[in-house]
Amino acid sequence: MATLGKKLFILSVRMGRGLWHRGIVSSSNPVQSAVEPLEKLQESSSDAITEQMAKSLKYPDFFKVAELFTVEDLFNARVHLGHREGSLNDHMSQFIFGSRLSHLIFDLDQTATLLREALNFTAHIAFRGGIILFVGRIPQHQVMIENTAKECGEYAHTRYWQGGVLTNSTIQFGSVIRLPDLIIFLHTMNNVIYEHTAIRDAAKMLIPTVGIVDTNCNPNLITYPVPGNDDSAASISLFCNLFKAAILRGKEKRKELLGVH
Amino acid sequence: MASVCIGNLVRNSAKVFRNSYITQVRTPYGLQIRCWNSTTPEPSSKPLTSVPASDTIKHEGSGNQLIKVSKAMKAYQEKAQALDALMFEKTTEYEIGRRHLANMMGEDPETFTDEDIDTAIEYLFPSGLFEPRARPLMKHPTEVFARKKVAEFDETGRPFHVLFYTGLPNYYQVLHDLSEKVRELDSFSDRMMQYNIHKDPERTLNVGGTEWVKKEQLEDILLEKLKDKQYEFFVRSMNRLLDHPFSYRVEEFIMKFRKHVQISVIHKEIPKLMFTAEGTPYMAAVGRRKTSTASVTVYGRGSGKISINGEDLLYFKYIQDREQVLFPLQFSGLLGKVDVVADVDGGGFSGQSGAIRYAISMAVRSFVDEQMMEKMRLAGLLTRDPRRHERKKPGWKGARAKYTWKKR
Repeated sequence: MATLGKKLFILSVRMGRGLWHRGIVSSSNPVQSAVEPLEKLQESSSDAITEQMAKSLKYPDFFKVAELFTVEDLFNARVHLGHREGSLNDHMSQFIFGSRLSHLIFDLDQTATLLREALNFTAHIAFRGGIILFVGRIPQHQVMIENTAKECGEYAHTRYWQGGVLTNSTIQFGSVIRLPDLIIFLHTMNNVIYEHTAIRDAAKMLIPTVGIVDTNCNPNLITYPVPGNDDSAASISLFCNLFKAAILRGKEKRKELLGVH
Repeated sequence: MASVCIGNLVRNSAKVFRNSYITQVRTPYGLQIRCWNSTTPEPSSKPLTSVPASDTIKHEGSGNQLIKVSKAMKAYQEKAQALDALMFEKTTEYEIGRRHLANMMGEDPETFTDEDIDTAIEYLFPSGLFEPRARPLMKHPTEVFARKKVAEFDETGRPFHVLFYTGLPNYYQVLHDLSEKVRELDSFSDRMMQYNIHKDPERTLNVGGTEWVKKEQLEDILLEKLKDKQYEFFVRSMNRLLDHPFSYRVEEFIMKFRKHVQISVIHKEIPKLMFTAEGTPYMAAVGRRKTSTASVTVYGRGSGKISINGEDLLYFKYIQDREQVLFPLQFSGLLGKVDVVADVDGGGFSGQSGAIRYAISMAVRSFVDEQMMEKMRLAGLLTRDPRRHERKKPGWKGARAKYTWKKR
């Protein structure tokens, strides 16, 4: 594992000088122009807001989520550690770097790319005032996930999933409610065998999903899969903090745009 | 294999860096991966899967969605307003009623308490009904009308509670707080272990005389309907918190879900000893058994003399009846220390001896301390035996016995 880190370091040095700062390891030049500041609105006309929000989509990394982490951070949080070879889901083999003593290792470059996409998407959703639901069913990390949701002003569901939450919400909650606009899965599995029902239900209800997929998980129905370890407290903690940071960035920009809300 | 992979990595990355625009790498599974190294703002390419839902909020379709949500919010608001208006109306009615009642009873309206109201209603509307809840009552509207949850989301549709989508936000919030408290206490106990301080027996949380709230009471506190399994899980988790050696640090949280056990035994007033002209203490009591009535006087500072209808203990022919008479004195240790004078009438020897025994027990209560009295109660001496003769039924041999059953 030390050799892998060393090789990454050598890579970065080869690729360009002065890049080993908190930035994009695999980029040649840092994004030069600062993002155009959004015009503060005097009157909040919905057309102007929509225009501003559409403008934000023109940038590949409007919220600079790439600054939030490096591949080294992922490595230190043990995100690259997968399960054993026998439990590998065939759809995950594209994300595997290799295996060591029959333990699978994730390709952190792929993880980094996909994670940046996921964070970018999350930030955009938060920017537009979307409801984000954190889902995870492993008891060890329940409290951590619920606290993350609380700290960024979003929602969490780490308990028994009642069948009709998304697909039969009017009956389930007793009235018409607004469904989540994004669901973030810190664990895609309920237990070792079964996938979380919410993955299928979110796909049915056309709700985009972000999910941390381990080597035994199926990434098919997830909109933005992020291959990585979902069993260590360190890796889950890192992911929680990253998503929280992305959401808070999106909300900050929203506040700027809409004034004091 | 690892070296080959790294080789590919280097090659791919190099390719990427040579072209400083968005590269699309197609994988065998058709998943498109974009590399984030572009310096020129480019319109976003075709999205990977579905249109992000964030866009639809501003669209016409989602405009309808917003309208739908505000309709629900509007309905909520109307309900809440209606409830408020109702409560206000009922409360004013109640206050006016209270003042009228006070005037009727001739009391001061300002200091007429709820207990006074209860007594006044009992006086003015005497009810022979057995069930207390069927009797006329006048209570404050907050006690009569069940509390309901207020609106759970704002006008944009965003719920207020973090755990809204679980369906039981208050219940799961309690479990969340519980987990946090257990962690707090564990970290505290770890710190204490460093200083070699273990469980302090003096500061242990005392929950004597209390028990966990029942399921219905928990539902009232949380305003949420629970399943039996959820309640049982709650109790198990709270017990885990309670069993922690440092649980006294979270006493407030635990006590929120504990209620005091109501003492079921109604303490009757034990009559005080009376004194004769000479100054000997005595107590009189009446006891009944079957159709016999016994009136007994127990004199203190005695020598164990027993007189039944003017006769000795040998009034009773059978040893069992004599033992019945002596049992309360022997049990309380007053056998040779008190004199007993008994008048008994009605029934047969068994009923009469039982009646005398009960009467002596009730009289002896005044001579004896509380602990002994409790022991007597547990021994069954202070229970009036309610059994009476059961009549014979026609077609039956006796009260319960049937005639021999013949199949054919």
